[in-house]
Amino acid sequence: MFNDLVSQFWPSTIDGLALGSIYALIALGYTMVYGVLRLINFAHSEVFMIGTFGALLTLNILGVTGPVSGLTFVGVLFLIAAGAMIASGGTAVLLELVAYRRLRKKGASRLAFLISAIGASLFLQELFALVVIPEGFDRPQAGRIQVPVPALMEKEPLFSIGDAVVRNDKLLVFVGAIVMMIVLDLIVNRTRIGRGIRATAQNPESAVLMGVNIDRVVLMTFLIGGAMAGIAAALYVVEFENTQFFVGFLLGIKAFTAAVMGGIGNLRGALVGGLALGLIEAYGTSMLGSEWQHVIAFSILVLVLMFRPTGILGESLQQARA
Amino acid sequence: MSHSKNTTGIGPVRAAMRKITTPFDEMRDWWGRAPGWVRWTVYGLVIVAALLAPSDSVGAFMSPESDWATILFYPIGVFVLLAIGLNVVVGQAGLLDLGFVAFFAIGGYVMAVIGTELGWNFWEIIVVAVLISSLSGIILGAPTLRLRGDYLAIVTLGFGEIVRLVAQNTDAIGGPRGINSIPHPPDMSDIEIIPDLQPFTYGVIDPRPYYYLLVALCVLVIIFARRLEKSRVGRAWAAIREDEDAAEIMGVPTFRFKLLAFAIGAAIGGATGTVFAAKMISIVPNNFPFILSATILAAVVLGGSGNLPGVILGAFLVGWLPERFRGFEDYRVLLFGGVLVLMMIVRPQGLLPSRQRSAEFAEGSGMGGMGAEVATPTAKAEVSSR
Amino acid sequence: MSDVTGGRALLALDQITMRFGGVVAIDGLDLEVRQGEIFALIGPNGAGKTTVFNLVTGVYQPTAGRVAFDGRKINGMKRFSVTKRGIARTFQNIRLFHNMSALENVLVGADAHHRTGFIGAGLGLPWHRREEREGRALARELLDFVGIGHRTEEWAKNLPYGDQRRLEIARALATKPKLLLLDEPAAGMNPAEKRSLQQLIRRICDAGTTVLLIEHDMGLVMEISDRVAVLDFGQKIAEGRPAEVQNNPAVIEAYLGAPADAS
Repeated sequence: MFNDLVSQFWPSTIDGLALGSIYALIALGYTMVYGVLRLINFAHSEVFMIGTFGALLTLNILGVTGPVSGLTFVGVLFLIAAGAMIASGGTAVLLELVAYRRLRKKGASRLAFLISAIGASLFLQELFALVVIPEGFDRPQAGRIQVPVPALMEKEPLFSIGDAVVRNDKLLVFVGAIVMMIVLDLIVNRTRIGRGIRATAQNPESAVLMGVNIDRVVLMTFLIGGAMAGIAAALYVVEFENTQFFVGFLLGIKAFTAAVMGGIGNLRGALVGGLALGLIEAYGTSMLGSEWQHVIAFSILVLVLMFRPTGILGESLQQARA
Repeated sequence: MSHSKNTTGIGPVRAAMRKITTPFDEMRDWWGRAPGWVRWTVYGLVIVAALLAPSDSVGAFMSPESDWATILFYPIGVFVLLAIGLNVVVGQAGLLDLGFVAFFAIGGYVMAVIGTELGWNFWEIIVVAVLISSLSGIILGAPTLRLRGDYLAIVTLGFGEIVRLVAQNTDAIGGPRGINSIPHPPDMSDIEIIPDLQPFTYGVIDPRPYYYLLVALCVLVIIFARRLEKSRVGRAWAAIREDEDAAEIMGVPTFRFKLLAFAIGAAIGGATGTVFAAKMISIVPNNFPFILSATILAAVVLGGSGNLPGVILGAFLVGWLPERFRGFEDYRVLLFGGVLVLMMIVRPQGLLPSRQRSAEFAEGSGMGGMGAEVATPTAKAEVSSR
Repeated sequence: MSDVTGGRALLALDQITMRFGGVVAIDGLDLEVRQGEIFALIGPNGAGKTTVFNLVTGVYQPTAGRVAFDGRKINGMKRFSVTKRGIARTFQNIRLFHNMSALENVLVGADAHHRTGFIGAGLGLPWHRREEREGRALARELLDFVGIGHRTEEWAKNLPYGDQRRLEIARALATKPKLLLLDEPAAGMNPAEKRSLQQLIRRICDAGTTVLLIEHDMGLVMEISDRVAVLDFGQKIAEGRPAEVQNNPAVIEAYLGAPADAS
């Protein structure tokens, strides 16, 4: 068992970091909404799912059916990222407007919020399984099975660290996630809307008194968190080359785990938590076998919530350092 | 349109909803004042109706396209019993549980494993299953019940998935193929009440004896739950929902009472699983998906959490409607999801809520109102230290 | 009055310090409440009075020091165990169970000493029924005692403000406390209500319950207290009979924010 871990250590590390980057990007959505509203946006998994289809739709529109290279690749990558961000960000904003805003205004209970989120989640999943995938992606009768995504890049080794081969796609995912994290950090810490978000996270009442438009801040929070899930979705389809209506469920829970692990409400915590979860999953899988991958993640979720619900870095979007 | 609600299209829905639900509210208030003999007569009539339900003439209307008695067992009967169990956790104690299916699964697997491996009979196993499932409830609850509401929801969701995935990955209990040839309960009597109905003979073909078994369990559990509700236990739960700290300072061992609710809910879930496995002959891990937990929770909430008649109504509707309108079968989860969102907007307290729960929902208290929190963020204090 | 001041110590705080982060809320406080007396804790806003209540009832654990009740250490005990031991309290901001009837509110307090578990309750066993009957009788009696016996079935949140304060007292008394902590019971009351509250506190004390009181209304404090302690910035600056404390220069300084001799 431990021999497997040792022999697979570096390859597992690289797989874990790549997958963990995707968790981290999705985790941002949970963490931002939580930071501002103190609520778990349970339907965020569907925000990600719709992002993958946004990316796929962009590919279809561009007519890309196989690997491209050079500048074309960069261009296509930007376009599918944009397509996924629009799809995800739009979904997140719609969720806030349709499923949450009225509940917020009424000061409804957490249970109501949760049920509404579950309802929205089921609705969106089924909408894709029944209508969008069969009609929009020309797969009649096949709404519930995996949808292949055309390969965008030839996956080949770039270089190796020790005995681990770093493939270009894994590096892309990792670097892409880190870059987006830095961008987000800048947005939250340096821009006006970022200040609004932090002020609201810290104290909504005084934020209102200071002239912050809460509804707008909440909407922007959903939009930015959704857009990050969109980036995750674009990277996901490039890496895994498929998606399905149900893809968000597991990834969503794992990303939530990552958010809690890092300290929910804490943006850098999402990165730490995502990478940590990715690594734990990869190492665990190399020891126990891939059928235990999800069990490992869920167990981490249960254990973290039991023993350190404030996470590794603690909860804080309200603290100035996001 | 000066009224913003109307421009969004929710206004008419709300008005329609009020028309539907006002009689419910009036009925509840009438029921609250009704004298004892009226209540007992109603209870009697309900039981008679439940016993007469699996007849062909009723079935012709209720489910023209499939066997009514089968549907009465699953999903309807199973949903109702599960919902009564989950109501103890969600409705009474105010704890969010998104992994309730785990206990249903544990009960089912206990029945399947002991029944096939050790050859015990159903009545012995159901006792063991109740003990094991409530024990697993305590094991899950003890470290997690200190968590705030929605964290608890996610942790229980994780637990539910762990149980299913472990069953799927463990070859000793059949892996993804599950367990076959689970024994039926032993026949208690082959008495024939009316032609072709032997209510105590548990065979392969006739679902009615199993349905009656569920009805009997429901009645027992309802009596038990009602008594708890009116005792110090129910008062403690209500106090915890309203103000956990004040309850603790008034001498309520809040943690112990929350754990108790979890264990009782788990026991009921486990008992349901036992009956389910004994009827189905074979079970597989995919009998116990997350969506089932979500469905039962939704049944509790749609019906009116905390109020048994409401919860039973909710579970009945959630189990029955998709079977009745088979034409919409493909769209049922879609519609279900939409209805959940809509209900939370227009009537979050459910169709038939208790007065107390209605009031709690109206002011956003009970299970941590978010209204107050958005106003004053107290994240650190909320994740209670140990 | 003087006969009780020599009584046995019921509650003793020994060198209690409470820090929140870097802020020292209570600083080496010694305090002794004796059996049978009415003891008032006064001081300017933010002096740490409610913190003392929270320390005594187990809501906070002291950073240093020892809280003893009836001769036994109680800091470190769970909040509900402290209540069972015989300490009950009311809250500065009323914290009733709003959507429960007045009777049910009091019953929750009475349940603190009830023994039946879920089996007895679920099966409706005889001793559970007896407890339930006795609890109801006690609750009715207490509601009468505090003067809201006619409002038994009303929801707590529908009661007028003054009655809500009385209901909180009844709920606390239902736990059969030896020591009752009242956190600003007269806040928001008119003079007539204050007078009847004063009588109520007197009757509670006469019935054998020691009372520890936080109150801003000096008239009330001076009239009913046997002894008074004054807190300022987490420290006890004076203690003694009402008249003694009233004329203490340090107290006047704390309240007026200026040296006594300058005024």
